[in-house]
Parts: sequence; structure tokens; C-alpha cells
Amino acid sequence: MLTLFCLLLSGTAGAAAYFFPVVVAGVGQTSQTVVVPPSRSPGASATPTPAAAPGAPFTVLLLGSDDDGKNKSPLTQSMILVRVEPTTKHVTMLSIPRDLWVPLSVGGSAKIDAAYAYGGPAAAIATVERNFHVHIDEYAWVGLKGLIKLIDRLGGVDLLVTNPVLDDEYPDDIDSAFLYGYRRVAVLPGAQHLDGSSALQYVRSRHNDINGDFGRSARQQQVLLAIKAKASTLNAADLPDIVDALKGNFKTSMGLDRVRTLLSVANAFDIANVKQIVLYVPLYTSYGRGPEYGNQSVIVPHWQEILAVTRANFP
Amino acid sequence: MILRRIATVLFVPVMLAFGSGVYLYLGTLKSKVVQERPQKPTATKPKLQLPGTMFVVQEGRLFKLNAGNFIEIGPPGDWSQPTLTPDHTKLVAVLRAGYASDLYLLDLDGHVLKRMTKNDSKYVEYNHWAFYPHVSPDGANVLYGFDSPKQNGVDLAIWSMPLNGAQYQARRWTDPYYYTGGDVSPIPLASGGLLFVRHSIDPSTAVHSQIYYQSRALALAKPLTAAADDCSQAALSPDGTQLAMVCSHGKQSAALEIAPFNGTALGPARVLLDGGLYASPAWSPDGKALAYFAPQGLTGHFQLWYLALPVAPTPSPSISASSASTSAKASSTVAPTPTPAPTPVQVTEGVDLSATSPPVWY
Repeated sequence: MLTLFCLLLSGTAGAAAYFFPVVVAGVGQTSQTVVVPPSRSPGASATPTPAAAPGAPFTVLLLGSDDDGKNKSPLTQSMILVRVEPTTKHVTMLSIPRDLWVPLSVGGSAKIDAAYAYGGPAAAIATVERNFHVHIDEYAWVGLKGLIKLIDRLGGVDLLVTNPVLDDEYPDDIDSAFLYGYRRVAVLPGAQHLDGSSALQYVRSRHNDINGDFGRSARQQQVLLAIKAKASTLNAADLPDIVDALKGNFKTSMGLDRVRTLLSVANAFDIANVKQIVLYVPLYTSYGRGPEYGNQSVIVPHWQEILAVTRANFP
Repeated sequence: MILRRIATVLFVPVMLAFGSGVYLYLGTLKSKVVQERPQKPTATKPKLQLPGTMFVVQEGRLFKLNAGNFIEIGPPGDWSQPTLTPDHTKLVAVLRAGYASDLYLLDLDGHVLKRMTKNDSKYVEYNHWAFYPHVSPDGANVLYGFDSPKQNGVDLAIWSMPLNGAQYQARRWTDPYYYTGGDVSPIPLASGGLLFVRHSIDPSTAVHSQIYYQSRALALAKPLTAAADDCSQAALSPDGTQLAMVCSHGKQSAALEIAPFNGTALGPARVLLDGGLYASPAWSPDGKALAYFAPQGLTGHFQLWYLALPVAPTPSPSISASSASTSAKASSTVAPTPTPAPTPVQVTEGVDLSATSPPVWY
């Protein structure tokens, strides 16, 4: 009896050692507390919707940004609203242009990518909630290096690249001594297997795309779906590797229950159940520049059209 | 009492071994996508021995496949997109270095004979890309994608330079749409004309790829496929009468199709395979089969596949030098396949071949 107990104990210790990094990450990187501040933006209303019940549809704000120390507070390079319906396994993704000119939850107006820089995830969530009239249940932030490592740990992603993505002004800020340099990148068209660095170039390049940031948003959704397709084949034994890849490059407000729900949706992945929305010019947005926008080139929202979309897809 | 102590002392290593065993066992339960990494082609044996000789690329290395064996050729570097001279004695391949890429002439064992272009500079904006080399049927010129001029973004245009000449003798053939990535995959024709793939972005912001025909340098190009078909990666059969291509029809999957070609126009396309990530078809030397790349298994690494073409009457194009819209319309109408669907045969396993470097097969 004692022998069996000892073996059980040693086996449990072995399993605990294996999953120890997951537990540490679970404590340190998930269930991040976010306090969304009350509205200070005139005309914008905070959504009083209660948090989603277990099994109910929920909305996650995905944030992507550099974390290289270039800016004291990094701007978000990617903001994607994702609504997950666990029962029907349907997913809706809406990319928010980083240059969208909006009232920020922390006061004043600016490009929406500044919300995270000024007030972290809480400000980013509040800004999106108040402008888009949606309720956000969770957020997840991933740094650029985290994305590279995650894709590499997944063994790369398969994509069908529609056209050559060429860029002479691609930021050369990953593992570079000089963070403000730029470099040339070329991702050639066709079906192919991309590693983490190439996939990042594909989702981050925007200078030679006639669709600008919108083209990039569509590519980000494409890579997100490719990651999801790959992730659907993972199992619990892979978690330490994945956690190691994302160490320091991932934060989320989601608890383990919600992560489990997300994984179950990923396991039942079917691209036919995924709706992708990009707020293209001229229907949803237009280009703007002038003193009213701080003399910056911005994307001006057409709220009537945008809110019709969010009402229909993010009830 | 002493025996009990001895048993206890002996049991501690057993516990340690068991705990370690559980740890290691959990490691073996990792999924294939996390565990499996591609092998070098030379460490594998093809499952099917292909006739002739083939050149493929993996992770910047050139490989020759002959008599069922892979041999690595060429000096170290980031090599891609090899192509043969018409007399089958030399290769032209792309070498990426830093922020530029150049064309090199190599012998069939991978020895560099000549650097054909010099596109690197210490100033980023003066660097250039050269991709997709293809030697003309008379062996006089090499046509390739080149990002010059750069006054409206960085877009590839098709250029031509003498195979035995110098880069300053190169001249531009096509005028790409700006900010689309440009024109790629030139196929010089015996007639002196050119097939290539042009990218465009329509008013709804959708990106399209179409196969175009152009009779001479900077002449008006004529689309042979419809924008909605999103066809690219064309390969001309050895006798020049059929075109293999990959068409995605706006989806994230593709169809492998062939269509008769009369030198200026395409006939109705036949879908050979549909719903996969098919890439870079190449004709067998006898024109009776295709090789192409497609991912295999969960890992998604691209393998080489072989597809014997069904013997079916291939109607010759009824269109002769018709208008661009007519020919594009014709090719968009896909005829039903009258013969049983061909069965692809996987040639390689466990490798990760570059799907953007079409196999060279002779």
C-alpha cells in the first residue's frame, strides 16, 4: 500500500514538474485584472452588459504590439474584436484600423492605437466599448516576439499568399540594436509554409499595399485563422512548449475556463463558421488629414455604418 | 529493521526513476505539429522514383533529385527558384542576401559560373529584388521579375536581359499596377511573346491574380484568365500546347487546372484537383504528368506530389487572337471533367520543400 502511494506521489511530482511552467504562466499571464474606467468621452456610452455566463457567447479584444522598448508605452499595431459562440462554434472577427480617429476613454481624441499606450488594456477596452457600442468580456495581448515564437513552436503556418508583399520600409526592430531602422522584406505569392519571422513580415508590412492598413488587417485575420487551424491539433502535453514560447509576450484577462472554451472552439475549427470583417474605405471609413486630426494621416470612422455592423455581429 | 531501511533506500531511486519516467512520458505525448521538424531531403528516400532529373529547394538549399536520390548542390546561401537553360546544361537561380536578391548562372552541379545581376547596396532604397528567372526558348535571354523603377511603390515588373550579357542591357517588358506587388512568373514563348501573372486590386479591395499574354516588350497585355478565377503559377507543357496553373477563385484553397493553349489564348480549363493548397506545378519531360507541391499531414510542410494526367481529348482553343475579355471569359468557364479524377501520388515525405520555387524537371 505504502509502495503504491509512494509511486503515485513520485508520478504526480513528475507530472507537476512537467506542467510547472503552465501553472506559473497560468498564475502570471492569465486572469489579468482589468478595471475599465467610467466614460469620460462625451456622447459615448459605457456598456452596462454583464459579463458573459459560462457557455454563453463572449467577445475578446485581441491586441498586438511591439514590446521592444521603442516606446515607453507601445502603440497597438493590431486590434481585432473576436466574438466566440461556444455552442454553435461560430467566430466573428472585426479588425479595427490602427489609425482610426476616435475619442479615447482617457480623454481627448487620437488614433485608436494610442489607447493602449495611454492606459494599457483597460483604456483600450474602454475606448473600443464606448465607440463601437460593444461589450468586451476579455482581452488578450501578444507581443511581436511572442507571435514569432508561437508560430515557430507550432512548426509554421500554411497560407495562400495572394500577391507579392514587398516593403522597403519594414521596421527593423526585432532583435536589432537600433530600433528605428528599417529593412526590405519580400513575401512571394502562392501557397506556402511560413515560419514565425516570415509570418510576422506578412502581417506587419503595410507600406506597399494599396489597401494600406486594411490590407494588413485582412492578412492578420488570415494568419490568425492559420494559427487557429494549427492550434486545433494541440493537446495538453504541448502546453509547456506553448507557454515557453509566449513567456513574457502574452497577457490575458481570460481564466483557464475560458481558455478551455476557446480551445474547444478551435478543436471544432471550420473556416465556414468564421466571419471576417474589415472596415474598408469608403463604406465604413474614409481617409482624413488636417489640423482637426493633429495634422496626421488618419482613418475617419463612418459610425452609422460601423455601428450597424457591430450591432448585427456583436450583440 | 535493517532490511526495512535497505528497502527504503533502494526504493528512493525507484521513485525518482518513476517520477522522471512520467515526466518523459508526458513529453512523448506532444502533438506532431510541436514535435516534428522537417528532414533534409538528402536524409530521405522518395516514395516514388520519378523519370529524369529534378531540381527543388528547401530552406535556401538546392537539391537535385535523380534516380530516386537527393543530392545537395550549390554553395551555402539562400537559394531559390532555379530554372534550366533550354539546352539543359545550366541553371539560373536566385540568391537572396540581406535586403536584395540576384540572379546567378550555375552548372548542373551547382557551381557558380557567373553572377548575372548586382542588386545590393549599402542604402536600403537602392536595393532591388530579382525573382522568377526563366530563360527564353532560344536561350538568348533571361526574363525575370525586378522591382524597378521604384517611383510608385515597390512592385515587380518583368524585365529581360541577355543570358550572356550584363544587367545594364536589361529592358523592361511589363508595366505593373502600382502597390499590388506587381507582375511575376514570366514564361517566354517561342513566338517571342510572353506569359506572366499580373496582380490587381479591384474597387472592393479584393486582390486578384491573372495570367496575361503580351506579344512584345511594353505592348498592351491581354488577360487569358478572369480576375475572379485568381489563376497564377502557370507552367507551359513541353510541346507548348497546354498550360497548368493554380486557381484559388478568391478562396484560401486552390484548384490545380490545365487548359489548352494555342500560343495566344487559352481554351476551357479542366480541374484536376480542388480544395487544397496546391503550388508550383511543373510538367514531366514527356508532358504526360505534373509534379507539384502540397502540404501533407498536420505539420503542413510541403511535399512533392506526382499526378499522371488522365488521357482525355483536350479541345484546342476555339479562340484565336480574340479580345482580352473574350479569352478571359472563355478560360473562366471550366468544362466538366469527362474522365475519372486522377489520383495524386506523394513522392517525398518528412521534408519541407519551398513551395514558391517550382520544381525544374527534365
